[in-house]
Amino acid sequence: MHSLIQLSIVVLLLPLLSFVILIFFNRRLPRRGDFIGVGILGTAFAISAYIFWSVIVQTYDPAFRVAWDFTWIDLGKVPGIGPLQIKMGIVIDNLTAIMLAMVTLISLLVHLYSTGYMAGDKNYGRYFAFLGIFTFSMLGIVLSDNLFSIYIFWELVGLSSYLLIGFFFEKDSAADAQKKAFLANRVGDIGMWLGILILYSQFHTFSFEQIYANLAAGKFAMSNAWLTAAGLLLFMGCVGKSAQFPLHIWLPDAMEGPTPVSALIHAATMVAAGVYFVARIFVLLTPDALHVIAFIGAFTAFMAATIAITQNDIKRVLAYSTVSQLGYMVLGLGVGAYSAALFHLVTHAFFKACLFLGSGAIIHAMHHEQDMRWMGGLRKHMPWTFATFTLATLALAGLPLTSGFMSKDAILAGAIGFANVEGGGVYYLIPALGFFSAMLTAFYMGRQIWLVFFGESRTHLKPADNHHHGHDAHSAHGAHDDHHGAHEVHEVSWNMRAPLVILAVLSVFIVYSPNPLDGAEGWFMKMIRTPATVVGPANHNCAALPAQTTSPLMAEALPAVETHVATDAHAVSEVEHAAAKGEHAFADPRQAEIAHAAHAAHFPAIYISSIMVVLGISFAGIVFVFRIIDPDKTAEAIRPLYLFSLNKWYWDEIYQATFIKGSVLLSKILSWFDTNVIDGIVNGVAVLVRNLAFANNSFDKYVVDGLVNFTAFSVNTTGAVLRKLQTGKVQTYVALLLVVLFGYFVFYFTRLIY
Amino acid sequence: MEHLIPIGLNHYLTISALLLGFGLFAVMTRKNAIVVLMGVELILNAANINFLAFSKYNGGIGGVMFSLFVIVIAAAEAAIALAIVINIFKIFKSVDISSVDTMKE
Repeated sequence: MHSLIQLSIVVLLLPLLSFVILIFFNRRLPRRGDFIGVGILGTAFAISAYIFWSVIVQTYDPAFRVAWDFTWIDLGKVPGIGPLQIKMGIVIDNLTAIMLAMVTLISLLVHLYSTGYMAGDKNYGRYFAFLGIFTFSMLGIVLSDNLFSIYIFWELVGLSSYLLIGFFFEKDSAADAQKKAFLANRVGDIGMWLGILILYSQFHTFSFEQIYANLAAGKFAMSNAWLTAAGLLLFMGCVGKSAQFPLHIWLPDAMEGPTPVSALIHAATMVAAGVYFVARIFVLLTPDALHVIAFIGAFTAFMAATIAITQNDIKRVLAYSTVSQLGYMVLGLGVGAYSAALFHLVTHAFFKACLFLGSGAIIHAMHHEQDMRWMGGLRKHMPWTFATFTLATLALAGLPLTSGFMSKDAILAGAIGFANVEGGGVYYLIPALGFFSAMLTAFYMGRQIWLVFFGESRTHLKPADNHHHGHDAHSAHGAHDDHHGAHEVHEVSWNMRAPLVILAVLSVFIVYSPNPLDGAEGWFMKMIRTPATVVGPANHNCAALPAQTTSPLMAEALPAVETHVATDAHAVSEVEHAAAKGEHAFADPRQAEIAHAAHAAHFPAIYISSIMVVLGISFAGIVFVFRIIDPDKTAEAIRPLYLFSLNKWYWDEIYQATFIKGSVLLSKILSWFDTNVIDGIVNGVAVLVRNLAFANNSFDKYVVDGLVNFTAFSVNTTGAVLRKLQTGKVQTYVALLLVVLFGYFVFYFTRLIY
Repeated sequence: MEHLIPIGLNHYLTISALLLGFGLFAVMTRKNAIVVLMGVELILNAANINFLAFSKYNGGIGGVMFSLFVIVIAAAEAAIALAIVINIFKIFKSVDISSVDTMKE
């Protein structure tokens, strides 16, 4: 076993140890055992950092990969299925190493931060236990080398997310939110499991490597549509976990959980697991599946961005922003900008965790006030939070010199390249939505910064009776004193400030690339290369080409052939070109073409997105800083649109009216069916049995008993008759004897005569 | 004397049948247990006459031996039967067999 594998197993099991210790013994430990959680995560991060160091810095090889597995369950040959052997394994490549370091780092920072944020909570110890099991499951997803174990950890992540969203389960809204999240994830996971089964039915293995090897060898026996379906079903898992369009509704509600949890799970790691999973299965996605994924991602990015601009809850804005950014990542994978999407995953994880922790600091300082309308002027009171929050905001908006700029531009350049290669008008919708969402992102983040940190404190403006959560004392303050509430706001303590600073530093470009305009020059994009696809037109072209060129009858096919040849030649030259430059060589001409076009679109993407970001920020400035356009009056003027956005496109209402009402109706119908038909059948059978029993009883009583009684009666009667013969007089017997003898003689002689 | 029919088997058998008839009559009609026993003796002797007559008619000694056996057993039987009668008399103070019917029903 490779030493890195051993270390990664230690990293995987440490958070589980933390969970086990804290869930059982937190009440017996000093400080409810929070130091154990932080300490264990610190150790895990140290080991992960060592793995990161040896894989990324020392080895610095794009093709680095070590794997190890063992047979977990061997069921032998199962009838109807074939050999069923479930293996567990660990794979470490560059992506794993990066994710490992990222997850443990953010988890460590969130643990540290929570010691301040959650202090005094009555379930303080259990909170750290839940963080531990979440980290364990997330690391399990990252390290898995097969679909089965990734599915197990996927469900564990869903469970720990459920536990943490509903951490304040006394609140009805939190209990509802956790159920909603769990159910929405279940819908996606069903699809994912079906996808796994399609692949398993073909290859009898869950291992990524073996599935891809089999696919590349063309052993997929069913039609290509099935492969597309398998890809899309697996993508459904991502749709649930990463909150993509049809199932995005749970993520904003998940903000009912504690804010550090939102930072860890619903911004940085768990929701990124969906994107990570799509990246793992990227090579088996057919072009058709990728188109669907790209459109879903683009639509999600756009829709969530439009919702985010009108939300008033500080965490809801960030939640919709997360959905939007996840849409970007999915879009990036869909258009084939593989490394850009994963780059965005990592950069987004850091700056969004920073934003969430910053908002947690604000909420903490404001005594659990979450509504941005009643904030304002916090810049002077919370300088550290202000600085880090602003830096992370700039990264999210995608301003140059930040990490978000590089990763988002790489995705958008990929989208332009994709649209150019596909050539269809509708495909330009994807980059267009991307750029428009970039502008909206800048706008709503500008709005948030302004509302929270600038201007005067508006705590006193808050209507006292509009108070649903938080401390009662606080509402009293806001009601009677203008400045009292603002005076109470202090900068948070060091254990909450340090994570903010670390995460903000990780949002600067220099961490990833020496060139602030081009992420492709950085170590990340060099280490994470688009893997060669194992499906799609590449294999078919190669097979079809010689046949076409050798056939003289197919003259009219020649132009097509020529383009193929040209494309291939182009690809070949591209490969040589890339090889000469020491860059990535693509095996698949389609991927090569997209990569080439994306490379060409790099600077246009930078220009357009910069213009969009500047437009968005200046628009936010016009509206909220200089108030040239009054936001409230504008909202009145375009009231239908405003309400549409404020009510989140009415998705909840639509689902309420369709799926929820539908399932309630269905359950009512089934209940009716149950009470009337099923119960009717059961009762009918019961009545039948009872009547049968009565009939049986009668038969027993009259026929069987009758026979018995008749026998007794006849014996009795015969006995009574024969008793008369028993006179006790010897002479009677003699007389009878004589009669019988006489009778015998008569009989005998009668026989003799006749 | 020639016109007289010589004594043959049929005569003996006739005597024997008469004796049997008298015996049966005595057994079935008399109430006195001792007379009934006498009737039984008559029946036995009727059988003895038959044995002897057939023995004489067929030759050989089997019939004679058999009748000797019957006489011996009849003596034993008479002894037992008289003992029973004495016991009956002790219990019922009578030898009227029509009154001895306690086994009835």
